[in-house]
Amino acid sequence: MAPVLEIRDLHVTFRTRDGIVQAVDGVSLDLARGGTLGIVGESGSGKSVTGLTVMGLTRLPNATISGEVLLDGEDLLRLHDDRLREIRGKRIAMIFQDPLSSLHPLYKVGWQIEEAIRAHEHVSPHAARARAIEALRSVEIPSPAEFVDRYPHELSGGMRQRAMIAMALVLGPDVLIADEPTTALDVTVQAQILELIASLQREFHTAVLLITHDLGVIAETADEVAVMYAGRVVEQGPLETILDGPEHPYTWGLLRSIPRLDVPRTARLRPIEGSPPSLIHPPSGCHFHPRCPYVMPMCRSMDPELLPSDADHLVACHLSPTEKRRIWRGLQLEEAAAS
Amino acid sequence: MTRYLVRRLLWALAMLVAVSALTFLIFYTFPSADPAALRAGRQATPALIAQIRHQLGLDQPVYVQFGTYMKDLVLHGDLGYSYQNNVSVRSEIFSRLPATISLTVGAVVIWLAIGIPVGVISAVRPRSKLDRAVMGASLVGISAPVYFLGLIALFLFASDIGRVHLFGGAGSYVPLTQNPRQWFSSLVLPWFVLAAAFAAFYARMVRGNLIEVLGEDYIRTARAKGLSERRVVFRHGLRAALTPVVTLAGLDIGILLGGAVLTETVFNIPGVGRFAYDAIINSDLPAIQGTVLFGAVFIIVANLIVDILYAFLDPRVRY
Amino acid sequence: MTTIVPSGRRRRLLVVATTAVLVGVAAVAAGSSRAAGGYPTAPATKKLQRGGTITVLSAGDVDHIDPGQAYYSFTYEVTYATQRPLLAFRPKSVQQYPDLAAAMPKVSSDGRTVTVHIKKGVRFSPPVNRAVTSADVKYAIERGFDTSVANGYAAAYFGDLVGAPKSPAHRIPSIRGIQTPNSTTLVFKLQHPSGVFVGALGLPMTAPVPASYARKFDNQTQSTYGLHQVATGPYMIKSDASGNINGVGYQPNKLIELVRNPNWSAKTSWRPAYANQIDFKEGFQDPTVLTRQILSGSADANGDTPPPPAELRSIMSNSSEKGQLFFTPTGGSRYIALNTRKAPFNRFDVRKAVAYVLDRNALRLTRGGAIDGRIATHFIDPSFKNLGFTQAGGFSFNPFPSKNFSGNLGLAKSWMRKAGFRNGLYTGPEVTMVSDNTPPGSNTAQVVAADLAKIGIKVKTVSVTHATMYTRFCGVPKNEPNICPNVGWLPDFHQPQTVLDVTFNGKNITSVNNSNWPLLNVRSINNEMNRAERIVNPSARYELWGKIDQQVTRTAAAIPWLWEQYPSLFSKRVTPAPELWNGGGPDVTFMAVK
Repeated sequence: MAPVLEIRDLHVTFRTRDGIVQAVDGVSLDLARGGTLGIVGESGSGKSVTGLTVMGLTRLPNATISGEVLLDGEDLLRLHDDRLREIRGKRIAMIFQDPLSSLHPLYKVGWQIEEAIRAHEHVSPHAARARAIEALRSVEIPSPAEFVDRYPHELSGGMRQRAMIAMALVLGPDVLIADEPTTALDVTVQAQILELIASLQREFHTAVLLITHDLGVIAETADEVAVMYAGRVVEQGPLETILDGPEHPYTWGLLRSIPRLDVPRTARLRPIEGSPPSLIHPPSGCHFHPRCPYVMPMCRSMDPELLPSDADHLVACHLSPTEKRRIWRGLQLEEAAAS
Repeated sequence: MTRYLVRRLLWALAMLVAVSALTFLIFYTFPSADPAALRAGRQATPALIAQIRHQLGLDQPVYVQFGTYMKDLVLHGDLGYSYQNNVSVRSEIFSRLPATISLTVGAVVIWLAIGIPVGVISAVRPRSKLDRAVMGASLVGISAPVYFLGLIALFLFASDIGRVHLFGGAGSYVPLTQNPRQWFSSLVLPWFVLAAAFAAFYARMVRGNLIEVLGEDYIRTARAKGLSERRVVFRHGLRAALTPVVTLAGLDIGILLGGAVLTETVFNIPGVGRFAYDAIINSDLPAIQGTVLFGAVFIIVANLIVDILYAFLDPRVRY
Repeated sequence: MTTIVPSGRRRRLLVVATTAVLVGVAAVAAGSSRAAGGYPTAPATKKLQRGGTITVLSAGDVDHIDPGQAYYSFTYEVTYATQRPLLAFRPKSVQQYPDLAAAMPKVSSDGRTVTVHIKKGVRFSPPVNRAVTSADVKYAIERGFDTSVANGYAAAYFGDLVGAPKSPAHRIPSIRGIQTPNSTTLVFKLQHPSGVFVGALGLPMTAPVPASYARKFDNQTQSTYGLHQVATGPYMIKSDASGNINGVGYQPNKLIELVRNPNWSAKTSWRPAYANQIDFKEGFQDPTVLTRQILSGSADANGDTPPPPAELRSIMSNSSEKGQLFFTPTGGSRYIALNTRKAPFNRFDVRKAVAYVLDRNALRLTRGGAIDGRIATHFIDPSFKNLGFTQAGGFSFNPFPSKNFSGNLGLAKSWMRKAGFRNGLYTGPEVTMVSDNTPPGSNTAQVVAADLAKIGIKVKTVSVTHATMYTRFCGVPKNEPNICPNVGWLPDFHQPQTVLDVTFNGKNITSVNNSNWPLLNVRSINNEMNRAERIVNPSARYELWGKIDQQVTRTAAAIPWLWEQYPSLFSKRVTPAPELWNGGGPDVTFMAVK
């Protein structure tokens, strides 16, 4: 089956007072129909900008966008604003990190959902309300008929996010982009929300693009994973492959930096050394080289291409495959020894 | 909500008493002309002045005078009689209120009708040439003194002394019931002059609020839903940006109802503001008290209405 | 902005816009015969039409609408059009003419009995309607002594009547010195002969008031007769059927509407009364706007506000507008009062030094320059002519001369040296001054301070509103500073006593509302004034007052600097009639719509 969403060589730059920010520097991704692609990376990696650009929300006077974003073959980047608006909300939907600030504080939740419906379909207010109630029911909100008349500030964080999800999915879009959907929520609620997204996805066969910095979230929900750093995809592949056999120094750093419960408390955390690079003046060659413990001279001058190391496993690193596997095994042994 | 209202009303009454007392105090503490001597005239003997002082009750201690004043006010609604011409202060203020209300309401309509659209346009195209031009013009509007603007308006557009004979000149005000056309013509220039500074201020405020609001997350969500840009800017953006504007307008109305002194003076509109100005010039304490009290009442009521209105406009606010 | 110069009566407000640049003017256009007292010449020979409405614009309101209280030049424009005192005035003269009186009053040889007959056929306006009798004049004068009316000049001019109350009365007194042997005769009995009593009969307090109608209003703590007044003049303030004018023809601070008095008979009056209606529109605070409205023809005359200097210059240089402007002497003078009760101005030498150092030109410039009038060298002004001005030496009497009136520093310093200050510079403590807080008064005060600095006198100035300056500081000897620079005086009528007596006679110093600002109390001068008060014979009287003017001037207790003239502007659509006796106000009973 053809992927529902194909991103080809996407470049997004912003002209700012301080210079040109290269937010997305040649990203190509595929999202399978009904599947879940997790994009993981730290702040400034370009993952959110990628999601926003797919939605067409980065069409600003100071932005330059090139590449292709194909939704069922239709290039969203070339579309006229009006046509894009027809698609937004109806065929692709997006939910955001903080549901309190992402919902309009002065309108009732039900009204906002109904507005989403009536923006794309001619239905009577009465019918829209009924559908809104249904949508709320489907996200497991109790007493949806009363809930519909509540204001966002009257609800708990979890309820709000459920409402946002209901609003996003009410028209049955093909793609849902979720940008850090659980970051602002309690840990216990996080799990519920992820569960919810997963079950809805199964029910409606929606493809999900899950953007997060949290590997734990990825591990829970994604089929495919793409790791982004400084505007580029550095590694990409099925979830198990990435978790069991990562082949990029950055991915290794990410996995090792996760705090563990099964080590003594006094054990030190292992962050990735250094800090994220400037996107206005990114490092030459491999963007990761200033922080890479395995850096080689050629890393400074040559951009590593994203090449398959395996059937569906892509990596952008100059290390040879053997070296990568050796280093990874060494790290795994270290892990085992530490616990 | 009822408890809140009751509490506010009690507080309002306390404020009004405090304002009255303060006015009394200011009048007697700072050097101002002696009303008895003014009333008596230039060659009046000290005995006559003392008589008049006694008649006006000015020879009693300040707190006794205040007590009498409050008693008359509360029991009879009597605001006293003007020292200058012995007319009832209450009837004078009421007879002048329509003029002040006419001036205020018209100016409010104009400044909102200009300020809000201008602010929206500027906000939607920030830092464009249009935006810069508008913000520059608004600086002029805010900075130009009302009196000066009023004179310019008269010298340009007044039907008697202007270069172009368009609208009624100074002193041409008549009540609406007497002659609607002349009423309107006499108020056009004062409306615009009074509205100028406010329109400019509100345009800047709307612009600032709207730019800030349009950067909010829920605007992003609205766009993500696929709504038209017009709907996003107005239904989502402006709706949030206008809440503080509406409440501020309410307060400004309250203040203006106490009398826009400068505008009423330069255009010779017989409103409450003029009355207050004349009262101060003539050291006419009852008239001063009356106008101050009226002004205070309007402001307090405006505050109250605005606070309640805010609760309706913003569901996050609850009493 | 507003300068109220107090006087026997209040001068009309001389308002100068703060935006007006008070730059000196080159001498008033030579071609203008209106300068310095110029007056409209022969009236139009064409017959003037009856009818139409005249509009007079003013910044403020009348001081009192009740004719028994009126004491202000602007108010007189209304009062003399609606009321008939025993004597009244024609626009071009300072002389008095019998108005309600049938002929000029007759004074007995001992000067203590004054007999007046009143005209027959004069009636009150509705709702009273009946004929005026001598009892109505008696009542009008008596009610002025009642505190509910509290006329400001009653005690000064009528206090000498036999039986007049010595202190303010709580009810309307019956003064036995006013006798009414029959319904058309009044006999006044005075305790002493008086030089000014006849003059005082031209004041509005002698206009008749119907007792039976007015008593109910006069019996209140503050009389409300003013709001229900009836008229005897050619015009009346529009009233309703019960006689109430409040809200009808009189809207305080807004409008006074005069309509024809249906009961006035032209046969009994020398007033032509051409117009059918006169509207006094008030509240025009900006003098430039007011001036231009008159020039444009949408109004006809200025009631209390002179055109500002910039507009005056523009009018005078415009040949088609020049003829609409008239300058009238106000009859009064402005002066700098020095407190003679405390150091240093209790010393004659120091006062003389001040009189020499003050730059009269600079002072006059603060009010607009030569347009504003001639520099005064004594107190009786030129409009008095033979009524005391020439007797006081006219323009030649100038005891402290200097080149171009700009002050003589050398002589000033020599007087300071004579006073004991070595270099001619004062070495004592700071002196105090209370001045207006708005121009032009504040500017005048600044000139005074700058000039005094030249002889080493440092001045500390307190600035307050004009009315506060008078009622709290300069008019209260206890609080009075060393210098009161913004004072002046207008005569109540053209008799020198009304210029000099209240202002410089020691016996008239009071504890509050004092008008003898220098607190001058020289026994010889007091005696001369007391003597002159009693002289009935006019020429002897003017002779003596002229001498007194010179004596007072020589004391340098007050330094006169301006014999002010007032510019009156009339629109092209009316015939002008500035009142010479009232500082140039428009006489609406003589104006016709062309």
